[in-house]
Amino acid sequence: MNTLKLSISSCLSAFALLCLLLFSSSAFAQIKVGSGTISGDFSFNGMFYIPDSTIGARDVDSKVRANAWLNLNYTNGGFSAGARYEFYLFPLIDFQDIHYQGHGITNFFADYKNDFIQVTGGYFYEQFGQGLTLRSYEDRNLGIDNSLLGGRVKVTPYKGIQLKGIWGIERHNFNFDYIKRNDYVRGLDAEVALADMIPKLSEKGVTLTIGGSFVSKFEKAEDKMFDIYIDTAKYHAFYNGHAITDFTATDIPDVIKCQGLISSDKIPQNVASWATRLNFGIKGFRLEGEYASKVNDPNLSNDYIYKRGEALLMSASYSMKGLGVSASFLRADNMDFRSQRDATPAYAALTLNYIPAINRQYSYQLLGNYSYASQPNGQIGAQAQVNYQIPKKTKIGGRYGTDITVNYARFHDLQKTLVPLSDTIGTITATEGYTSKFFGFGKTLLYQDIGFDITRRFDKHWKLMLMYNYINYNMVLQGKPGTINGNHVGFELTYKINDIHALRLENQYLFIPKKNNLEEKEKGSWIYLLLEYSISPKWFITVSDQWHAGNKSKLHYPNAAVAFVHNTTRIALNFGKTRAGILCVGGVCRTVPASFGLGLSVTTTF
Amino acid sequence: MKKTFLLLIAISILTFSFAQEKPKATLPSVDVKTLDGKVFNTKNIENDGKPILVSLWATWCKPCVAELMAINDVYEEWQEETGVVLYAISIDDTKTAAKVAPFVNGKGWDFIVLQDINWDFKRAMNVVDVPFLCLLNGNGEIIWSHTSYAPGSEKEVFELIKKIEK
Repeated sequence: MNTLKLSISSCLSAFALLCLLLFSSSAFAQIKVGSGTISGDFSFNGMFYIPDSTIGARDVDSKVRANAWLNLNYTNGGFSAGARYEFYLFPLIDFQDIHYQGHGITNFFADYKNDFIQVTGGYFYEQFGQGLTLRSYEDRNLGIDNSLLGGRVKVTPYKGIQLKGIWGIERHNFNFDYIKRNDYVRGLDAEVALADMIPKLSEKGVTLTIGGSFVSKFEKAEDKMFDIYIDTAKYHAFYNGHAITDFTATDIPDVIKCQGLISSDKIPQNVASWATRLNFGIKGFRLEGEYASKVNDPNLSNDYIYKRGEALLMSASYSMKGLGVSASFLRADNMDFRSQRDATPAYAALTLNYIPAINRQYSYQLLGNYSYASQPNGQIGAQAQVNYQIPKKTKIGGRYGTDITVNYARFHDLQKTLVPLSDTIGTITATEGYTSKFFGFGKTLLYQDIGFDITRRFDKHWKLMLMYNYINYNMVLQGKPGTINGNHVGFELTYKINDIHALRLENQYLFIPKKNNLEEKEKGSWIYLLLEYSISPKWFITVSDQWHAGNKSKLHYPNAAVAFVHNTTRIALNFGKTRAGILCVGGVCRTVPASFGLGLSVTTTF
Repeated sequence: MKKTFLLLIAISILTFSFAQEKPKATLPSVDVKTLDGKVFNTKNIENDGKPILVSLWATWCKPCVAELMAINDVYEEWQEETGVVLYAISIDDTKTAAKVAPFVNGKGWDFIVLQDINWDFKRAMNVVDVPFLCLLNGNGEIIWSHTSYAPGSEKEVFELIKKIEK
């Protein structure tokens, strides 16, 4: 009971501050101090939880929970500084599940820049190229903040050349005990816009940028004991392979469990990763690519093997007015790269690089529930997309034109051949774990999506979007058996009553065939319905329901929400149920538990 | 807990005490990229003394795309009447960044499109969620900002642009 009181009082304090700020921001917005300005943002996401065993919404100890944060930035000419306060003392349950708990000043920085140099001290975010070697970023909805605490220097010695150097310790959720940390990261990046330097190229309309990066992480090594399972008949490990320098077996049945040891001198303390990239364009054609490689990096996510990691991301596109065609290819092998080798693979925390999922990102509920999650340690696949507009003011295109998108994506695991540990049980040396063919597709289909959508505005009032998709989503991505082989059809109809009032109706069906080996609670088709009424520009009223119609449970996940927007402030109240599943942004996913309750969200920029 | 609360209060009082004057903030100086992959600093966003719209959006954000489609339908008219230009700054990250150019062209948009791949501009602008639209006057001063999109709100935007002209 005490915790409940405490959680209510603390959430209320955060809310009180919010009200104060709202008042101050609406009164003064973007505050001038001397010749500089103060700006910032504030957010509050609170929820009152109601247990509901039918959907699996658990009975949490503190029913009132909230996440809140405040950013304040000061800017004066080339100088800027800022700080952030984060409040996750009684966090929303999905954030508690990913160890987001605590409060305090979680970010501060000072930065100076002119045309030649930029120097940053404190916490900073940085991405090298496409991010295959380094990307520190934040996504509050996902609960990711891997900012680096340290310093950064960016130099532009000559027009078209940019050099960057960084050193830092990566943020790890709410563990701010940096003195105890045994790890840090350093990196260099260079980018040259060649077309800026070679007039002959730019005269021909060619753009060409090349770049390269080098990132190295240091982590002190200690002797490490861990459990290992050995199949005595085959003399190799159950997992991909283990990097064991010495172990002793106690008995010899078919499968034995024994303790393995990695001695500290066999663990690389410095792990380097490098990448090279290219961006070439002529007229409507564009080619972008980055290839990255990582030296041996035995860690928990790869079962401590000593294999080299590599990743390739290539995209080609052609576009002209009314038409855009693009194709991308991605291969990632053993590229999970983190500040600490024993970081839990299930969470995104302590990740240093970014291996994106390159499938199309849908914002439609039923497809979003089966978003592909990127597999940095092993995936190969491609995506292709065509965007076409049937021209405006034509018979077929109509007055406003008709937009068509066609998309295909397919991802597999890698084709791997295991490398046996050794014939003799005794001293086993470090292993590569497996070998893989560069363009080899593994037998497991992880994800496939083929589909199209058509958007047409008929007149000032009516707009319609129709879509169809066929998806194959391997539930192994959520650690479950079976594959969702679903047909998805949907439409979105907008009726603009006049310049102020509008109605929007969304309807989707996901048909899942009866014959499958899915878990009982995953079986069966889904229906989604949403109706939104908006009074421009301030009010939004939404009701929706997600219905598991094809399942025995016939569960409903209804929701009702009201949102009010005034300039940069948004206040939303919602009441309803959230289904258990995954939330993905950019192929980075986290699990979301089922929940039921009343939520309040307030965000403001000032 | 009390300490936290006091700290929060202190911060807000501090904010209050700084609050002295109405805003005349300008765009921050942040490196973003053009669709050609070249570095472009946002302080170079300009329109010859005429009004500028800056939109933060993403290809995966439905209301963002709806807003830009609605503006695109009347963009010619707006330009003829006020000379306004729209900078559409995409926050698509590496996952979808390569698809921005084909997407924009496929829709036939005439906006100036920039890419903020690691959200440096979004952070410097203190933007929480997209869509985020702001209006700059001829001196590059931000005179209006707005988050989220409801069909029809572009009408209000046009009224504001016309007001600057006067």
